[in-house]
Amino acid sequence: MGRSLNARPLLTRWRSTLTLTLNGRRMLVVQKYILRIDNEACWGCKTCEVACKQENQARDGIKLIYVTEDWPGENAGMLNFLYQVNICRHCENPPCAETCPVEAISKRDDGIVILDEASCSGCKACVEACPYHAITFDNHGAIAHKCNLCSHRVHSGLMPACADNVCPAHCIHFGAPGDIENILTEKAKNRNNSA
Amino acid sequence: MHEFKYANAEREMEFYGYDSVIKSHCRMCHGGCGVLVFVKDGKVAKIAGDQDCPINHGTLCSKGLASAQLAYHPDRLTYPVRRVGPKLSGKWERISWDEALGTIAARILGYKEKYGAESVVFGYGTGRENEAAIYRIANLLGSPNVLTAGHFCYGPRIATSIITCGTNPIIDYENFPKCIMMWGNNVTISNPDCYKGEPFSVALDAGAKLIVIDPRLTRPAARANLWLQLRPGTDAALALGMLNVIVNEELYDKDFVNNYTYGWDDFVKRVNEYPLERVEAITWVPREKIREAARLFAVTKPAAVQWGVAIEQQINCADNDRLLMFLMGLTGNIDVPGGQVLFKAPPIVNVGRFGAHDKLPQEQAAKRLGGERFRLAGQFAIINPKAVWDAVLDEEPYPVKMLFFISSNPVLTRANAREVYRALEQVDFMAVSDFFMTPTAELADIVLPASTWLEMDYIGDFWKRHGYILPRRKVVQVGECRSDHEMLNDLAHRIGQGEYWWDSFESGLDYILEPLGITWQEFKQIDYVRGEVKYKKYKEKGFSTPTRKFELYSTVLEKMGYDPLPQHREIPESPVSTPDLYEEYPYILITGARQPGFFHTENRQIPWLRELHKDPQVEIHPETAAKEGIKEGDWVIIESPRGKVRQRAKLFAGIDPRVVAAQHAWWYPERKEPGHGWDESNINILTDNGYEGCDPAMGATNVRALLCRIKLELGN
Repeated sequence: MGRSLNARPLLTRWRSTLTLTLNGRRMLVVQKYILRIDNEACWGCKTCEVACKQENQARDGIKLIYVTEDWPGENAGMLNFLYQVNICRHCENPPCAETCPVEAISKRDDGIVILDEASCSGCKACVEACPYHAITFDNHGAIAHKCNLCSHRVHSGLMPACADNVCPAHCIHFGAPGDIENILTEKAKNRNNSA
Repeated sequence: MHEFKYANAEREMEFYGYDSVIKSHCRMCHGGCGVLVFVKDGKVAKIAGDQDCPINHGTLCSKGLASAQLAYHPDRLTYPVRRVGPKLSGKWERISWDEALGTIAARILGYKEKYGAESVVFGYGTGRENEAAIYRIANLLGSPNVLTAGHFCYGPRIATSIITCGTNPIIDYENFPKCIMMWGNNVTISNPDCYKGEPFSVALDAGAKLIVIDPRLTRPAARANLWLQLRPGTDAALALGMLNVIVNEELYDKDFVNNYTYGWDDFVKRVNEYPLERVEAITWVPREKIREAARLFAVTKPAAVQWGVAIEQQINCADNDRLLMFLMGLTGNIDVPGGQVLFKAPPIVNVGRFGAHDKLPQEQAAKRLGGERFRLAGQFAIINPKAVWDAVLDEEPYPVKMLFFISSNPVLTRANAREVYRALEQVDFMAVSDFFMTPTAELADIVLPASTWLEMDYIGDFWKRHGYILPRRKVVQVGECRSDHEMLNDLAHRIGQGEYWWDSFESGLDYILEPLGITWQEFKQIDYVRGEVKYKKYKEKGFSTPTRKFELYSTVLEKMGYDPLPQHREIPESPVSTPDLYEEYPYILITGARQPGFFHTENRQIPWLRELHKDPQVEIHPETAAKEGIKEGDWVIIESPRGKVRQRAKLFAGIDPRVVAAQHAWWYPERKEPGHGWDESNINILTDNGYEGCDPAMGATNVRALLCRIKLELGN
């Protein structure tokens, strides 16, 4: 009576090292991994917000991941709304890093975009630059905060807190891009079958 | 190179330097989810889901993850206290457990002697896995009065399923229902007793079709194949309409109907009283949509109804439950894989036996408050709250002198809150066991510090009907807090019940497990025990009802003098039943839609959870808001004939412009005065609790749909 869906628990292996050209620089990249949110599956339960709080202990009002309502209008004549999970996308060419005057934001070789809070000057340029509203500003400390993809955990072989299978909707996926694409493709196929 | 895997406990231990990890069983709601608790320096340091748990498969919710903030909250009550000033003076002094329980015991024995055991009422709120121990002490004392949420929450599902098909039919998510009808419920953010959101999500992602019945556009409703936006409180009519389609289009399971049901002909006559034109007029749902939903549900196999509490907090409580069971049964989805299964519990001493109901003398059971009026409830040891308030305030039919609330906050959660408050102010003696000084606890004489789930050994999910039991293992001790079971075990000895209890409650756990042939210490070593899984058991033995059939026509209700067939009753206050009042109060108010992070009155002091919802919100359609001059975020006064409260406007297009939806159970723990703002946003100030508005069989109070008016608060 086992369940086979989505190969739970999901195992994501760091494959081999690759040589890639990134931002015009040739570099040795340890298998790149991504965080993908399947917003269609999100129920708005905000478990991810609290999982992040438990790990990163951000103070009241500072959210490195947060869920909002999105009203895209009618869907096939039916009123529709979605939840949207907002978090740093660790962009290929992060505009926040471009704009930061003190180089507090950088893209690591493994793809993670890190905001070094100690170097932050509090100018808020990154907050404005981020197209995903994923950078939050702490007025008390006068510094910016964003998701560092739990780089301390990832570095030690642990999944980011929000993606460590806490989500009851299984909508947060961390791992190798190919593996995640396969999962999302299968989910989308099943959803289309039920429509 | 790293190999990632979920909840890698070994690596967590290494990386964070935790001292230990303990597998346990969360109870931030009714219980259910398997968890890993990481401990460092004797304190809970992190909580994660248990990937091997068959209930949650490693996932958790915001409440479970925030449990340590509950356990170590600075406002937590960590020793017993006695009130030293008048009620609401907020003056308390620390006392010992010995003095606290000694005082409570003396009061219990004194009232029993002078007014009879029935003058002592024990109470709990929603199910927190202490109910069997509470019934045990009450029954052994001779009090038939245990005040719970059972009249309008889960109790009706148990009572009506027992009289219809023998036990509560639980969705077999493991075997992937192909069609799910989610009725007045949102399992993705709530915990409707035996269910979690995770298996529902997985079934949906595996391709199940979804029908949602809800006056509000929930996210599942937005994602559904069909959303039926009914007029609040008309669930029974809608279900009768669907059954009408299923009967007249012969979409039912003929073998099941012919061989395993009782009362088919009478039932068919009844559903024929509900043609779709009539149902459309009652429910506001277009008849074609009703027909489409009935067909989709009936022809897709296996199919299941995901139900919850909303349909029970209405005048049609018992009939709503029965009608949804009829939808399950007549479509052939009872006791089949992927349908709704009459699961068997493992062989243990069940909640009924542990509750010692057989020890309550007949003449005492006959005194159950409201038992003559609400006869189905009475048979299941359930009472209607107003019956208790009346007995306190008017001493009718006899005086109630003592209330002992264990994990209950009735001034927020019971209808007609001002009456509840008066009763609690007036009662001769009141004890409370809770985590915090709640608005209810502030009215007590003695308050006891209760353990959270992190601080107790217990057999988790012992009362549920999904067939699993799981060990809840004690992780830490906080202050002098005691689990409700340990506290009651101690108290029982002090009131002369020693022979029925144990030296320590661990032996009580051994007693529960005895038929399984293991002790608590042995149970602790395993992950879970599941009862035998078998389908279509009724083919051999019939159903466990008086006729051995699935009773469409209830022989039990008939004997009690009720209509044996389900019907639609108009809710007590509505555009239809009270048109004059509707002119003054021109909106239908629905209450109690769940908020992730909160569990009824709980968690508004937990920082990570309060951060999810700072203020109470009332949902108003943008057109209605414009008409009333209300903007997003404005404070709004919501008023019914009983009173008024304030909540913040949330403009929400997913609701009918004639309906507004307010949140329930709001108080403000951050306000330090003894009332803690209990009546400022508490929606039960507005609800009514008159007997005539309650379900005639269960005594369920109608708190979900009433009439109101709204206006912008001055000074916004």
